[in-house]
Amino acid sequence: MSVPENMEFFIDPARCIGCQACVQACSECDTHKGHSMIHLEYVDRAHSVQTAPVVCMHCDSPTCAEVCPADAIKRTEDGVVQTARKPRCIACNNCVLACPFGVPKMKTDFKLMMKCDMCYDRTSAGKKPMCATVCPSQALFFGTREQIERLRPRSTPNNRFWFGAQTITTKVNMMVPKTAQAQYIDVTAAMSERAIGKEITLNILTDAMYTGEEE
Amino acid sequence: MNKETIKATAWGLSVALVVAALILAGSRNLSHFDAALVGYTFAVLFAAFAITYRYAMWLQRPPTAIYWKRGWQVFFRPRHLALNIVNWFKRVTSEFVLNAFIFRRGRARGGAHSLIMWGCVIATAITFPLTFGWIHFETLPGDLTWYRAYVFGFPAFSFPLESWMAFLIFHGLVWASFLVIAGVMLAMRRRMRDHGAVALQQFGEDFLPLILLFAVSITGLMLTASYTWMKGYAYDFLAILHAITVIFTLLWLPFGKFFHIFQRPAQLGVSFYKDVGAREELALCRRCGQAFTSRLHVEDLIQVEKQLGYKYEMEDGHYQWICPRCRRAMLVLAQGRLWEGPSSTDATEAGVSSVMPQSSFGNPQTDFGPLGEEDRTNFHP
Amino acid sequence: MASTPEESQNIIERFGPHPAYSSGARLQTGIEPDDLVDTHCCFCGQQCGIRLKVKDNEVIGFEPREDFPFNQGMLCPKGVKRYLQGSHPDRLVSAYERDPSAEGGFRPIAYDRAIERVASEIKRIQDAYGPDSFAILSGASLTTEKAYLMGKFARVCLKTANIDYNGRLCMVSAAVGNKKAFGIDRAANPWSDILKTEVVWISGANVAECAPITTNYVWQAREHGAKIIVVDPRITPLARTCDLFLPVKPGRDVALFNGILHLMIENDWLDHDFIEKHTVGFEAVAEHVKEWTPRRTAQVTGISERAIRQAAEWWGEAKTSFLLHARGIEHHSHGVQNVLGAINMVLASGRIGRPYCGYATITGQGNGQGGREHGQKCDQLPGARDISNPEHRAYVAEVWGVQPDDLPGAGVDAYEIIRKADSGEIRGLLSICFNPKVSLPDNNFVTRVLDKLEFFVAIDFFLNETAHHADIILPGSLHEEDEGIVTQIEGRVIKINKAVDPPGDARQDWRIIQDIAHCLGRERGFQFTRPREIFDELRQASRGGIADYSGITYEKIEKQGGVFWPCPDEDHPGTPRLFEEGSWNPIAKGAGPFYFPDGKARFNVAPYTPPAEDVDEDYPIILTTGRVVSQFLSGTQTRRIGPLVDQYPEPLVEMHPHLAERLGIADGDWTTIESRRGDCTLRAHVVSTIRPDTVFIPYHWAGRKSANQLTISAQDPISKIPEYKVCAVRVKRRNGE
Repeated sequence: MSVPENMEFFIDPARCIGCQACVQACSECDTHKGHSMIHLEYVDRAHSVQTAPVVCMHCDSPTCAEVCPADAIKRTEDGVVQTARKPRCIACNNCVLACPFGVPKMKTDFKLMMKCDMCYDRTSAGKKPMCATVCPSQALFFGTREQIERLRPRSTPNNRFWFGAQTITTKVNMMVPKTAQAQYIDVTAAMSERAIGKEITLNILTDAMYTGEEE
Repeated sequence: MNKETIKATAWGLSVALVVAALILAGSRNLSHFDAALVGYTFAVLFAAFAITYRYAMWLQRPPTAIYWKRGWQVFFRPRHLALNIVNWFKRVTSEFVLNAFIFRRGRARGGAHSLIMWGCVIATAITFPLTFGWIHFETLPGDLTWYRAYVFGFPAFSFPLESWMAFLIFHGLVWASFLVIAGVMLAMRRRMRDHGAVALQQFGEDFLPLILLFAVSITGLMLTASYTWMKGYAYDFLAILHAITVIFTLLWLPFGKFFHIFQRPAQLGVSFYKDVGAREELALCRRCGQAFTSRLHVEDLIQVEKQLGYKYEMEDGHYQWICPRCRRAMLVLAQGRLWEGPSSTDATEAGVSSVMPQSSFGNPQTDFGPLGEEDRTNFHP
Repeated sequence: MASTPEESQNIIERFGPHPAYSSGARLQTGIEPDDLVDTHCCFCGQQCGIRLKVKDNEVIGFEPREDFPFNQGMLCPKGVKRYLQGSHPDRLVSAYERDPSAEGGFRPIAYDRAIERVASEIKRIQDAYGPDSFAILSGASLTTEKAYLMGKFARVCLKTANIDYNGRLCMVSAAVGNKKAFGIDRAANPWSDILKTEVVWISGANVAECAPITTNYVWQAREHGAKIIVVDPRITPLARTCDLFLPVKPGRDVALFNGILHLMIENDWLDHDFIEKHTVGFEAVAEHVKEWTPRRTAQVTGISERAIRQAAEWWGEAKTSFLLHARGIEHHSHGVQNVLGAINMVLASGRIGRPYCGYATITGQGNGQGGREHGQKCDQLPGARDISNPEHRAYVAEVWGVQPDDLPGAGVDAYEIIRKADSGEIRGLLSICFNPKVSLPDNNFVTRVLDKLEFFVAIDFFLNETAHHADIILPGSLHEEDEGIVTQIEGRVIKINKAVDPPGDARQDWRIIQDIAHCLGRERGFQFTRPREIFDELRQASRGGIADYSGITYEKIEKQGGVFWPCPDEDHPGTPRLFEEGSWNPIAKGAGPFYFPDGKARFNVAPYTPPAEDVDEDYPIILTTGRVVSQFLSGTQTRRIGPLVDQYPEPLVEMHPHLAERLGIADGDWTTIESRRGDCTLRAHVVSTIRPDTVFIPYHWAGRKSANQLTISAQDPISKIPEYKVCAVRVKRRNGE
């Protein structure tokens, strides 16, 4: 069994509403039942409700696997990077620290790294991953390229990421606006970027408080 | 052949030679060596070579090499040697003797592993010394009802032939095979039923080892059954069949899942490395300013990544100095930036410090947390 | 005799809420379920399709149900973890009687004995004080069959006028507004009309947290170029990236709507043909909004004039649009006016009754729509009929086999029932599916009143906080233990299917109600043996009414993936979109698409009045309340589901850093919020995503954490909805200034 070739994962964090349906549903999957693998964080809750949903991007040449001293992380033929193989993982934490996307999780008392495996029990049987099925905003989307093109006319999938001088290509796609004409997503350039959304709104708020009287 | 291969080959040959020498010495120049077991012996010699070769190759991979080196370095640091030795015993007991972490992964899984492991340990402890002639039994001179065991040719202990002790010792392999068969059954049951396992397992990696263990155990039991109750019916055929299963298993040791037996002790080295990491200087994230692991670990990892050919160098510093939490935030901010355009106020303009706010977990209590339990408990106070 | 209950006793230890987590079969990965049951979520009005996995009469998990057209597999966290409400340690599996000496304050008793006691108390109280002295509080999370039966039980069996339901706290302002403007109370459009609209206007609705699946509809509209306008005092997740955010001051929504209409008229962004042909009353409204200049609107609403003009321009020039609103504009002492103001904007644009031109309120409760149509409202009979209308009474009386004169008249609303219990007019109470001690405003008063009742019986599956004051508790059924229909947010009638049997002595609520009727010796009309029979009577009772279900069958629902009412006969496919040009309805009879004799919609002058309790020197800060995504209403279910509790464990008081700084409060500080009615101490959540003059508290918690200790019981004069969204408070750090 393998993940059908035409089915792909598309992620658009700009849509995310932080509801955590993905987090709750993730733990319902049979390859990691009871453990949630997806990350969902407030980027800066004090100033914004922006949330960051992060699933494994399933790199074409996964850094986590390369830095694993125990050869425990395998990428299956269909491009899915699996949770560390249980007999091998020695819980060294290299993968957790090396993954450019910050994906793997270390379950210390299991002596095991666990990570998003795209719900392999589901996707390899032709179903959608739990998170993407339930996601109410469809920030997480699983389907064909034709579907995503039809549903998201404003954006286009991109799977090239820059980390300093390193380019990483991934199986999972991120939706970027067509207008940006981005060849890649420059992650390190977002180093001093602040949570998105608050400024426009804050300006309106300031306007409301002061100019309402003056005009 | 490149440098690594030559080195590994040399190690492999050396270890195989040492085993051969031990066989010669232990069996007193083959005087206690059972010629019928020659096939086993050569399989063992090959396995010794291949396992060592693979182990040596493995140790030369950059991430492994650095852990290997550091593991020993930190273990023998004089300041903590005593504590390390105490911890070593503690950890060997809980992790290897008791399989505590496997039981935590799942009770059925832990049970299956313990049964298989202890079955194999007992069987190995019996067969290898016997095969190599390291242990043999003789009747006591003048008393045919007493046996004496010889280890490496030296007399060790004696026991009466008609005692439960003798029964236990001579049927040691039977008991071992019971353990293994029970363990294999449990493991197989899980592999047949568990939806997660069904999705992920592969024949060579997951089923073959179980089948081999089962085959070795069952053919061994059949041998016992044949000579105990069936007057040696088909004994020769069974002996060959058993030999084939054992030899195949020995030859398979270096390749598949069984190799974890040799890799696993590395987890001890890792634990001492982590001890040091937690005691010494922490790495502070270049973006949020928070500690996220040990400085030693980050520096080692940077070196490993360089050796592997990764270029995570940024304009100022290395990407490895950014904590996983900030990496996730940056990924999403980078995408958001493409939608919304770069933010108008950057940190310096707003007159605040260049430290960026740390993200906060949407749900810190779900399972072991978004960052993983370890990082939360150790490094994210 | 209800008496002060719990605090001294270990009621929480005994009855919860205890958070439940997956264990046993629910954590196994090698179990093949016995059955997969296609049904719906038990929580909000969206009623997402879900497939429950059943093993050994236990719901052990779920599969997304991608075949249900509304949610196509999508679920919010509540839906994902809803299965944990089954096999719960807190589940009531027998009847209980108040007994201060027993563990937890209640002693299990035989079910029949409990029913007898209920019947005899009802009889005693009604004989002594008259039929209206026994009241019923019901709920809109019941299936429509049960809701219908509750109405019938009150009017036919108990002959009391005093039945009302918790939809009173929820959708009534919208219901009244809709009836005044359109003559019918239902979402005008299916949600699919949002997908390709040009402007989505969302007023007072935290879509992301309270109707999460709707998010995808809104974002899909944006994919096709729609502008999203959000009006809210807080930057909700949708507001974060919407195209225009109007941070309205709580309680000023109608001023904004009037201001927008003013600009529409000024710039002639009107559909004159539509106004002419399909509406009446525009002139009066136009005259009224003359005073709502952008300047004045800005001053009242606290939104910048620039933003108001921008919103008006987008709304005015759009070719298609969809206006959504929810409790944010409805929970006010002028909630109906707010709704009418919004509808005026829609009618003036002429964008209704066509594809991608729509208007809807986002119904809150699971059966918020169906539960308000068939007679558990104090003034209503099945089919959305009016209990004061002689024709309507006659029709329903005939279906029920009683004399029209035997039917009681209109009763009073839910809060008034509490007030009447306070004054002694009401002496006995039956409550089901309602937790007023948590959900009603000024709930310290409610608590005092509950203890005054001579007899109080509660039917529930968990012991909710209100039931702490009960004399008898009857163990009811969970959503997955019964079948029946509900009507979801769009007006689509759907079918709930039974997955498991009720445990122990627990039984389906309609059985309990019938058992009481039997015990009272008034079993005529309460001899149904399954929900389908109740439904068949309901169909008949609704025939010819506005909410006409007569053409709906269980089979048709399954076949079509739901049926939109009105559906007047079995060949009728249902009515997804209301008010289409040329459509027929039983009121207009072809005169026009709206539900008035002339077929025309009504403009209603919607005057602005400030909130009942505005801020002043003593109480200078506005308090507004609302929900979080992981909890539902009074939390009877969701506070018992561990993973949902973990997601947002306790209420926080949200405040802007400017305000926090002025008050000397830091993030995480214990903060005391006081109103004229009570106080509450919670941790501060200092965030710049809220107006600096407003603090926000989610209301799902009970006791000392309950936000409704602070809220005001002022009600809208027409809809009787309480003013949850605005009251005046003062805020300080705990133990200090």
